[in-house]
Amino acid sequence: MLAFIIRRVFQSVIVLLAVGLVAFSMFRFVGDPIENLLGQERTVQDVERLRETLGLNDPFPVQYARFLGRAVQGDFGISYRQSRPVAQIIAERAPATLELAFVSGFLALTVGIGLGVFTAIRRDGWAANVIMSASLIGVSLPTFLIGILLIYVFGVQLRWLPTFGRGEVVQLGWWSTGFLTQSGLKSLILPAITLGLFQMTLIMRLVRSEMLEVLRQDYIRFARARGLAAKSVNFRHALKNTMVPVITVTGLQLGAIIAFAIITETVFQWPGVGLLFINAVQFVDIPVMAAYLMLISVMFVMINLLVDILYVWVDPRLRIDGRHA
Amino acid sequence: MKTVIAAVLLAAALPAGAAELRFATTADPNTLDPHAGNSSPVFSMLGNVYEGLVRRGRDMSIEPALATAWEPIGDGEGWRFTLREGVTFHGGEAFTAEDVLFSYERASAPEADTASWFAGVDRVKVVDPLTVEFHTERPNPIFPDSIANWMMMDAGWAAENGAERPDIERGNFATLNTNGTGPYRVTERQPGLRTVLDSFDGWWGDDRGNVTRAVHTPVQNAATAVAALLSGELDLIDPVPLQDIDRLRAAEGVDVIQGIEARIIMLGFPHDAEGLLAGGEGNPFTDPRVRAAVAHAIDVPAIVQTVMRGAAEPATQLIGAGLRGYSEGVTAPAYDPDRARALLAEAGHPDGFAFSLRCPNDRYLNDEAVCTAISTMLSQVGLQPVLETMPVANYWPALRADDHDMYLLGWSPGTFDAEHPLRFLAATPDEAQKLGSWNFGGYSDARVDELLPLIQSEIDEPARQAMIDEVVRIMAEDTAYVPLYVEPLVWGLRDGVEVVQRPDNFLNLRWIRMPG
Repeated sequence: MLAFIIRRVFQSVIVLLAVGLVAFSMFRFVGDPIENLLGQERTVQDVERLRETLGLNDPFPVQYARFLGRAVQGDFGISYRQSRPVAQIIAERAPATLELAFVSGFLALTVGIGLGVFTAIRRDGWAANVIMSASLIGVSLPTFLIGILLIYVFGVQLRWLPTFGRGEVVQLGWWSTGFLTQSGLKSLILPAITLGLFQMTLIMRLVRSEMLEVLRQDYIRFARARGLAAKSVNFRHALKNTMVPVITVTGLQLGAIIAFAIITETVFQWPGVGLLFINAVQFVDIPVMAAYLMLISVMFVMINLLVDILYVWVDPRLRIDGRHA
Repeated sequence: MKTVIAAVLLAAALPAGAAELRFATTADPNTLDPHAGNSSPVFSMLGNVYEGLVRRGRDMSIEPALATAWEPIGDGEGWRFTLREGVTFHGGEAFTAEDVLFSYERASAPEADTASWFAGVDRVKVVDPLTVEFHTERPNPIFPDSIANWMMMDAGWAAENGAERPDIERGNFATLNTNGTGPYRVTERQPGLRTVLDSFDGWWGDDRGNVTRAVHTPVQNAATAVAALLSGELDLIDPVPLQDIDRLRAAEGVDVIQGIEARIIMLGFPHDAEGLLAGGEGNPFTDPRVRAAVAHAIDVPAIVQTVMRGAAEPATQLIGAGLRGYSEGVTAPAYDPDRARALLAEAGHPDGFAFSLRCPNDRYLNDEAVCTAISTMLSQVGLQPVLETMPVANYWPALRADDHDMYLLGWSPGTFDAEHPLRFLAATPDEAQKLGSWNFGGYSDARVDELLPLIQSEIDEPARQAMIDEVVRIMAEDTAYVPLYVEPLVWGLRDGVEVVQRPDNFLNLRWIRMPG
């Protein structure tokens, strides 16, 4: 098991370095940051001076090496747009994104599994059919459209919920939370649904099909024949055996929720790292883009690692194989 | 119940008529340092916090601010400013001539982004605590106009906080904190997210509305801003997408106010290129008849009516009507496709020729749609434009690298004077002289180059105007550029909010009146 983890960590580092290299080679195509940093009355001398101070005249491998050298010391540079350390900016914005991701992930998982089991057990019921049809919306509509629709209905027409922002937040040390105020909680609802809807329907459909598969198996029939309670059969025997694929997908989707919160955050002006990233792209804020991309890849790599470990824990067959490997 | 009590308490604590304004714009000022940024979002926000010696009034005219009077020294040797007495900064420090000298040194330092305003200034002399002289190399009639956005900072405050010089790269205390003399103080600043301004009771002026607190949120997504205005969560949004104007007008509780900006949208030509990107023989655009054909081929009124939904105004020259130095009596080339075809045939291109038309797609209002329309119109007279649109972050580097044929450009004159576009767009590019830095096409005319320095130093207004008129005429006859239209300015408001909209698109909080 330890050898397995060490090998995976080593592979992860190589993945990270490759991601950074690709990212840095792409930055040249995003545009010239100087255009946004100086006003229209700038002179050629101003441009040259700034380019030199920012190290933009160096070839990209040099810029990448310099970034790596500083990043391992925890220094991600200074944002061009905000003239502040990137690490500080990301630390300020992370709570907003993580809280949003947590709520939508939680919604997606609980509602998704619940509805998945329900539609599998009552596969011919009218309610199950309605849910299955409705779930097509979640799978097929793009996020920004769902966001705009929710804003229009619940924000503009009914005026029940705020249309943008995070509401009032409470500062707990360096962490800012929206969980402790009424406006903070209300602000979470629409973006969390928007962000989690796709994952929710995905998990629901996955659980349903896995459940249908499992419910056909002999041991379920025997369990029923033995007269076990339906609840026990469905949840203890059937659901537990559908969990391996669900864990994989959920794990990867949790990463996706954080990484692709960009669109939801833009539509709701949610003050998280996704919005920060979009603004950074528009402004050609290379230090912020670089730090964000590295952070997201670290996260994906970690999630994959955790998922692999969870597999082994959930499925005893893999455990035996793992020992041999 | 709790909120009701809180609201009552809050109302009791505020002076009568006090109001809070919640407003959103697309861009957040990237710094609060008035000398580290030279862009409209920075000046628009900081114009409420810091003040200059002079400022612009409701009609854009120059009026006294921290200086009460100014006059030329001798025969155009410079300008003498008399300062206002009894002005204090938000931190309580008195405003004196030393602060003016300090602000000059700070704003004209190489690290600053505002140094170009002081290009012709030799030295600044403090005569007494209330008199400052600016000595210039040459007579400079528009010096007061060019420093309307130059803001005064307290020398002591800057020194105490280690912000004696602006720092664009790393930022310093003044990037996040302010200490001006203006009617509002910045009381909260979360870069990119939220800025709160509270009124400053010690302000010297009295021309102010009832906004005591203003909360700014940058909202990048136009649909989000419109929804927030409709739902009553915002009181003012800038801009309103053109396609939403009618919808907002029809909606209850909100209104739209529109005007025109000082920005002219125009087409540029590759004057000095040897060949075109699209290949072919030579560069047909060096022939003035070809350029005139392009001008006659474009139906500007139709673009204004359809793409700009009637909100823009056709332009005749590189500045808009009403600005200083505007040339009367110049007309735009009429839309005449037959004439355009005839001119092309005359120039030896009866079947047209292929060229690239470059446009940004995120810089000006509906820029991509405008270029698509232009491209179609040019095709109708036989030309073969290849339209390429790109984000502005890639667009400017392409233009600077001379990687363009025809291109779209918008220009907003920082001094609100006709000389400004001539210096940047008409003068032959010359790095040492700091001329023609946005003249990407390399337009060059000896007479224009000869007249520009004379215009810059002519004190006599009619003589100056005559020279400007001549330059405008030369450029029109040459079709140096094709001026298209003046960009519209559209704000969305909650019903009852009264605002003053100026062509520089600055939001002056002190002129806003909220419903009681």
